[in-house]
Amino acid sequence: MRTLLLTSALILTSPSAFAQTLFLDDAIVVDAKGNQSTADVVVENGVITQQAATLSAPAGADTVTGTWVTSGLFAPMSSLGLTDIGSGGPGNDVASESSSTNVSERAADSFNPRSIHIGNVRQSGVTHALVAPRSGSGSIFAGTGTIVSLTGEFDSVLVSDAFVMVDLGETGTRRAGGSRAAAMAQFRAAIDDADGFFKRYSDAPDGGDVLSRQDALAFNRATRGDIPLVISVNRAADIMRIIDVKKANRSLDIIIVGAAEAWEVADAIAANNIRVIMDPLHNLPETFESVGARLDNVMFLEKAGVDFAVANLGALGVTKPATLSQHAGGAVVEGLEWADAFAAISSVPASWFGIKDKTTVVWDGDPLEVTSAPIAMSINGKPQSMTSRQKALRDRYNPTNTDKRPHKYR
Amino acid sequence: MKTILPLILPLSVLAACQAQDSPDAASDDSAVAFASTYTPQASTNVVLRNAKIIDGVSSEIREGDVLITDGKITFVGSGDVPAGTKEIDVKGRFVTPGIIDIHSHLGNYPSPGVEAHGDGNEVTSPITSEVSAEHGVWPQDPGFDEALQGGITTLHILPGSANLFGGRGVTLRNMPSRTVQGMKFPDAPYTLKMACGENPKRVYGNKGGPGSRMGNVAGYRKNWIKAAAYKAKRDKGGDYDRDLQLETLADVLDGKILVQMHCYRADEMIQILDIAKEFDYKVTTFHHAVEAYKIGPELAAADTCAAMWADWGAFKMESFDYINENVPFVHAAGACAMIHSDDQNNIQRLNQEVAKTWADGNRAGLNISKAEAWKWLSTNPAKALGILQETGTLEAGKRADVVIWEGDPFSTYGRPSTVMLDGAILFDKATGLKPKSDFRLGYADLTEAAK
Repeated sequence: MRTLLLTSALILTSPSAFAQTLFLDDAIVVDAKGNQSTADVVVENGVITQQAATLSAPAGADTVTGTWVTSGLFAPMSSLGLTDIGSGGPGNDVASESSSTNVSERAADSFNPRSIHIGNVRQSGVTHALVAPRSGSGSIFAGTGTIVSLTGEFDSVLVSDAFVMVDLGETGTRRAGGSRAAAMAQFRAAIDDADGFFKRYSDAPDGGDVLSRQDALAFNRATRGDIPLVISVNRAADIMRIIDVKKANRSLDIIIVGAAEAWEVADAIAANNIRVIMDPLHNLPETFESVGARLDNVMFLEKAGVDFAVANLGALGVTKPATLSQHAGGAVVEGLEWADAFAAISSVPASWFGIKDKTTVVWDGDPLEVTSAPIAMSINGKPQSMTSRQKALRDRYNPTNTDKRPHKYR
Repeated sequence: MKTILPLILPLSVLAACQAQDSPDAASDDSAVAFASTYTPQASTNVVLRNAKIIDGVSSEIREGDVLITDGKITFVGSGDVPAGTKEIDVKGRFVTPGIIDIHSHLGNYPSPGVEAHGDGNEVTSPITSEVSAEHGVWPQDPGFDEALQGGITTLHILPGSANLFGGRGVTLRNMPSRTVQGMKFPDAPYTLKMACGENPKRVYGNKGGPGSRMGNVAGYRKNWIKAAAYKAKRDKGGDYDRDLQLETLADVLDGKILVQMHCYRADEMIQILDIAKEFDYKVTTFHHAVEAYKIGPELAAADTCAAMWADWGAFKMESFDYINENVPFVHAAGACAMIHSDDQNNIQRLNQEVAKTWADGNRAGLNISKAEAWKWLSTNPAKALGILQETGTLEAGKRADVVIWEGDPFSTYGRPSTVMLDGAILFDKATGLKPKSDFRLGYADLTEAAK
C-alpha cells in the first residue's frame, strides 16, 4: 500500500500532474468543521468530481489508498510575499525602519504573489494566509495587513485592507520609547485620533496627538470596527489592559496574537469577544512576558470558549506556515479534538476574514501528521501546481536521479 | 566576613597543592581544568518487557526485551534476567536510545532571553578559540528540562557563529544540575566551533575584517599557520608560553579536539575540506549544511558528517537553497547524516523533525526504514561527538540512555513517556516526575495552582 502511494505521489510531481485522475479508495473526507467520514472520491486535476460511499475506479485513474481529503489550510500569521530572504537588504518589506508613515502602510502594496515561498509553502497544503507587516521604529503600528490566496496569481490579494497590525508587549514598549505605559498611551491616543478624525484633522493636517492624517484615516476603519485590530501581546496583565481598551471602545474588533499567558485570563478573553491566534508548541519562558507559557494554553482557551486559530509563531521566518499542521498536531497531543485543531488552521481563520474560496487538498495521510503531504490541490476549481523551486532542487540532486549530465544541465 | 574567609582559604591552598602535585599538567591543562563531576542518579536494575526496539544499529525494528543493570544496557532482545530484577511490561511501546542534539545553545542563550543572558558568543574578535561554551552555560535554563521531556539525554553546546574560530564546544549529559561540571559528559572530547560564510564577514566587516568570504579563508589559513608553529614548539617540550587561543587549535591538529563547523553552502564546504587537507586536520561535522545534499559523495569521501534541519531555510541568502530532503539525501549518498535543532523549541521534538525529513526522502524515491532513519537522532550525533562507545545506541555495555515512547516516535502524536539517563528515570509522564529549574519556582507554583 505504501509503495503504491509513494509511486503515485512521484508521478504527480511530474509536469503531467494536471492531467491526472485519482481514484481515492476509502478516503477520509474532512468537512469544514473538521469532522471525518469515509468515502470513495474521484479527483480530476485536483478537483473532486465524484464522491460516494462506494464508487468504482474510472478507466485510466490512479487508485490511491490511505488518503485524506480536506479544504486548504489557512495560515493565520505570516510574512509570505513580503520578503525573499529573512535577513535585511532590499527586497525585505516586512518592516519599515525609517518611514514617516505607519497604519497607512499596506502589506498589499508590498505583497509579491510571485515570491518563491508562495509555491514552496503551498506544497504543505496551505492555500490562504494572513500577511502581516511588523512594526518599525517609532510606532507601535506596523501597518495594514492583507489576506491572500497562494495561487501565485496577480489577483491573489483577496482582502487588501484586512486588519490593522499593532505591536504591544515588549516589542511595542521598544517602539513607543521604553515602557508599557508609553505604548498604551500611544495606543489610546491613536484610537482617539482615529475616532475624532473629522474633528481633529478637518482644519489641521497635523491635528492628531500621535497619528498623521493619512494614518488616522487608515486606522479609522479599525476603530469603527469595520476591520479587526490584530495585536501582538503575551503577558496576561497586558491582555487585561487590552480588555480595558475594548471595554472603553466597544466597536473595536480585537484579535490578539501570541497570547502565551492567555490561559490565566481565558474567561475574560472569551467574555469580551476577543479572538486569539496562538502557537500550541510555545512552552518556554523565552521572555519575562511569556514566563507563564505552557503547552496546554490551548486547552484553557478551548474550555473558556475562546474563538482561536493556530499558527507557527516560532523561529522560521517567511517559511513558517509550511509547518502549520505540525503545530496544530501539537494541540491534539494536549487533548484538543482533531476536528477543532484542523478547524483552527482552516475554517476558523477563513471565517474571520470572510474567505469563501472553495479549496481541495488530497493528502497521502492524516494532514496533522508530520509524515503526510499533499498530492493534489485546487483553489476555486483551478488545479494548483505541485511543483516548486524546492522540489526542482530536490529533483536535480536526487540520489536516485540517473541523469549523469553535469548538474546545471539536468 | 571573618566567618567566610577561613572557608575560602583552605580551598585555594588545596588548589595550589594539587597544581604542585602534578607538574605534568602544565602542558595539558585543558584536560584537567573544569573536570566533570557528573554522577548518575540512583537507578534500579530493570528489564523492559515486550518492547518495540529501535536500537540505533539495526535497520529493523525488533520486538523483545531490554535489560538494564547498574545503569548500563546488559542485553537488547533477549537474554538471562537475574532473579529479583524489576520487570516493566512496556506493552509494545517503542524503546529507543536517548536523543542526542549536536547543536544546541541551551544554557548559553537560555530562557528568558534577556541581554544579560547572552553568553553564547564572544563577539569581540574573529578569532576567539580561547573561550569555552561551558563557561557561558547557565544550568538553570528551563530549556534543559523541556528538552529532557522530549527525549534529549545528551547535547552539545557550541559558541555562536560570529567568529571564524568561535571557541570550544562542550558535550553535556542532560542531567538536572546546579553546575555545568555536573552535566559535563565524562571524557567526551572538546570540540572547536568554526564558522563559514555570512556571519563572520557581516559581524567583522566594519571591525577590521574579515569582510568577505576571501577574508574568511585567509583568516583560517593565517591562524592554522600560527597553530602549527605553536604545536611544533609544544611538541619539542621544555619552556614555552602557554597560549589558550593557539592551544585549542594545536589540539585540533593533534586530533584531540573535534572541529564542528557552521557552513551552509556546498561550494564553501568544499573550500573548507581543502583547507583541512592543507593543514592536515579533520572536519568532523558541518553544521546547518543546508546545501550538503549537493555534495553528498564528497562528504562521504572525506568522512565528514553533516548536521542539518528538516525544513529550515530562506532566513538568509546562504540558506536559500534549503530542501526538505537534505538529511535523507546525504544519508543515501553514504555520508554520515544527522538532525540538529539549534533551537530551544525544536530540540523538544527532534523525533518529529526526523519523521518529516524521513517521509519526504521516501516520497522522493528513497527507501529508508524508520530504524535506519533513527540513526540521525542518536547514533550519528554520538559518532560526530566522539562518544559513540558510550551512548547513542542500545547495545550491551553502553550507558542506559533510554526513551520509552507513548505512540510512534515517527508521528506528530508520539511523545516520550519515560526518559532514562544511565538507567535512572529522570522524566516519567505517568508519575509526573520531571525536573524543575530554579527559575520556574514561584511562577510554576502559580501555574500548577490554576490547573
